[in-house]
Amino acid sequence: MTLRNSNHPKPLSCAEFQEQLPDLFAAGVNGYIEDPDLREHLKTCENCSALIRDLQYIADQAKQLLQPTHEPSDNVWKKIQEGLASDSSYAAKPNDK
Amino acid sequence: MEVQGLQMTEPKTAPGLFKRNPPIAGEAEAIERAKAGDAEAFSKLYALHKRRVYTLCLRMLGNVSEAEDMTQEAFLHLFRKIGSFRGESAFSTWLHRLTVNLVLMHLRKKGLQLVSLEETINPSEEDSPKRDFGSRDTQLAGSVDRVALERAVASLPPGYRMVFVLHDVEGFEHNEIAVMLECSTGNSKSQLHKARLKLRELLRQAEATPQADLKEAAL
Repeated sequence: MTLRNSNHPKPLSCAEFQEQLPDLFAAGVNGYIEDPDLREHLKTCENCSALIRDLQYIADQAKQLLQPTHEPSDNVWKKIQEGLASDSSYAAKPNDK
Repeated sequence: MEVQGLQMTEPKTAPGLFKRNPPIAGEAEAIERAKAGDAEAFSKLYALHKRRVYTLCLRMLGNVSEAEDMTQEAFLHLFRKIGSFRGESAFSTWLHRLTVNLVLMHLRKKGLQLVSLEETINPSEEDSPKRDFGSRDTQLAGSVDRVALERAVASLPPGYRMVFVLHDVEGFEHNEIAVMLECSTGNSKSQLHKARLKLRELLRQAEATPQADLKEAAL
């Protein structure tokens, strides 16, 4: 994956590296990074390595932890039934849950 | 109601779509029965999906009352239009897309929220997370628990929260989010990145001071 012109005469700064992160993550940060300048920066910069680890960790945790845990009140189903009962496009008469 | 984005067309089946939202036992049968107007089948579909739909609404809106209203709307809309579901995508993906579109339309209808939504999707630089160029960063120390993460997500500015929930929690792709939010794909990627940066900052603050008021920290 090449995200920018790699004809870069000097090592990337953290700011330059971090500007590439939205695209890098969108392309899959766990995959192989083709751009040698980005790879080199990641190898030598502990700050940016830690940043990438943290952001990936947050994304992974969100998938794992943020399951649908909230429950609507019983009133919601009651209102849905009322809505369906008064809807002419709804042929059947809804029963109680 | 034939508002753009609310038509009950199904997204093209993409690899991993069913992996993300695998079919639930008994769901297919309930869908077919619901299409024929079977009230018990509607009840079953509601029982199977109410938590996911309500949690999605709550995370997008941050308000219990509005989230319940939108859950009601989503299921009423679903039951009226279920005949157009052809099974080309996972039912839950279809339902979640419908819900997201309803919530976004609700926010846009509120006028001021529409402006606010666009503003928070494109926040000023002052609102953007600060980068620690050249300074030593502190890595997240330990494992993040669900409560801390949920609180941190709730504390995000609405535009960041919207993109984070849609991408990292619901699993939508950037191109799908761009269509739903009427922004560019690049904007979606950028907002997601800023959301994660902000979350990192909030979670680090919470680690440092467990009793910290995350809402305050988010301002």
